[in-house]
Amino acid sequence: MSDLQGKLTIAQSERRFALVTALPGLIALIVLVVGPLVYMFFNSFFVKTLAAPIPPRFTWFGNYGKVFTDTRFWNAFKNTMIIMVVGIPLQSLLGLSMALLLSKPFRGSRIIVAFFLIPVMITPIVSGFQWKIILDQRFGPMNYILGMVGVDPKAWLAEPFLAMVSILMMDTWQWTPFVTVVLLAGLAAIPKQVYEASSVDGSSTWETLWRVTMPLLKPMFTLVVLLRIIFIFKIFDPVYILTGGGPGISTETLSLLTYITGFKNFNVGITSTLAVVQLLIMVLIAKLFMNLVMKKRER
Amino acid sequence: MTKEILTQEEIVRKKRIKTIMSIVRFALIAIFLLAFMFPVYWLAIGAFKVEGEFYNYPPVFWPNHFSFENFERAFTMFNGTKGLLDSFIVATANTAIVIGLGVLLAFSMGRFKTGGDDLSFFVISLLFAPPVVAAIPLFIIFRVLNMLDTYRVLYLSYVLINMPFGVWIMKGFFEDIPAGIERAALLDGYSRWQAFRKYVLPLAVPGIAVTALFVFIFSWNEFLFSLIFTRSSVETLTITLSGMIGGHQIHWGELSALSLIAITPGIILTLFFQKYLVRGLTFGAVKG
Repeated sequence: MSDLQGKLTIAQSERRFALVTALPGLIALIVLVVGPLVYMFFNSFFVKTLAAPIPPRFTWFGNYGKVFTDTRFWNAFKNTMIIMVVGIPLQSLLGLSMALLLSKPFRGSRIIVAFFLIPVMITPIVSGFQWKIILDQRFGPMNYILGMVGVDPKAWLAEPFLAMVSILMMDTWQWTPFVTVVLLAGLAAIPKQVYEASSVDGSSTWETLWRVTMPLLKPMFTLVVLLRIIFIFKIFDPVYILTGGGPGISTETLSLLTYITGFKNFNVGITSTLAVVQLLIMVLIAKLFMNLVMKKRER
Repeated sequence: MTKEILTQEEIVRKKRIKTIMSIVRFALIAIFLLAFMFPVYWLAIGAFKVEGEFYNYPPVFWPNHFSFENFERAFTMFNGTKGLLDSFIVATANTAIVIGLGVLLAFSMGRFKTGGDDLSFFVISLLFAPPVVAAIPLFIIFRVLNMLDTYRVLYLSYVLINMPFGVWIMKGFFEDIPAGIERAALLDGYSRWQAFRKYVLPLAVPGIAVTALFVFIFSWNEFLFSLIFTRSSVETLTITLSGMIGGHQIHWGELSALSLIAITPGIILTLFFQKYLVRGLTFGAVKG
């Protein structure tokens, strides 16, 4: 009897301790993070501007209607999608190639991987500067190198199509190494016996890659694709520096549009609506991440 | 496990194929490395070029002599010193807040599953949200509180960017520590706080330190919030840098020099903490 009571108190004291330790962090999150987000959600139902001292007017879902019928919103949505649909497969392919090349460790391979990874943690606006210098029409090395193989100099940042290509180049440069290391970790986790069994079967290298390695790497690809989607939604600094969304609005992404609506046009209502839309998409992706990545890991 | 006996010729042929394959392999690795290192190389040599060399055709791939005047001018003619100092102040303060407030929450979630899947899902959603979504409400709130253009506005707003990350990553590190350690301490008569402080925390220190390094670098690299929330009394490094391309002339040399300094913390993390880099960037999904 007393033993049972003792156990109950242990469970209770543990629950109390868990709550006490969680509280300071939770309060900070709620005050500094949730508070502003709730306020934003609230603002998305009002016609409200910072440009003039006009009292806010309640508009139900008026802002949402405006956003979803705005061609500029769909343009930004399309641009964000283009970066994903072209960039992610490209980076997966390049990243996989490099991972396969590096999968058998050799002397110095760790150092090569380390150097290869530098783009990932570079200050984002600096990667914007770098590509601005490299792609400079008259003095940049890109046009010079292309000139050596007979390609005419290109106005990389002045033509809509080429500006998008430039963004994709920059994004691919920055994130391919990330894909490589994640896939390298995946490759390292495949037991040697699997390959041995496959080579006993007489499978060629190519068959082994498709029938053995790729299926085993699938969880890693899922992870990479999800993370890249998140990072592309977040991308702001390098695009702001490299093209500023231009020429015109040809490379404007959702986060760039949100910034411009808020801090160039001072339209609080529409900005908040754009923000809510992006936040909802992220909540959806977070759900996917929980189910596809975290749950699998626990098993 | 060869199935048939190979003739001498076949062995020689196989060896030759193997040699060719490994040459191809290393050539491809070299090409990859060259292509991906080139932008960083270009920035680095740019820092040591003299101004005229930026307006040269063909471009200068290797400067005649290495000049340090870009570094000098970045600090004398531009706000390099203030940029470095302010970035350091803001990043340090923010790291202290995020780790200080986050570590207990991470411990609680990692050890006791406090809040269960719901709290995890909540933290992950915040972690995935683009910072720009919070820019407008924060701007209005900070303006009302008369806090714009102060250090506080930055290290507090960066909590929004870094706290979900810090909590999530540290939670993973606490999960790695076996629960038996605490149980043994409790049986020895220590209180829960003592068990945490004397047994769990020391084991978590490496993980906490790496998380702190990440948070510091994210703050150090941050651009959007400093662009929006500060004007002149606070000027972080990223703002100093963006100011160098603002006017009618782009100061490539000074920009490259200061950029080179700006990327140093990130490069240190990459070169010396590679294992943790993968873990951090995959939000703990790959333990590296």
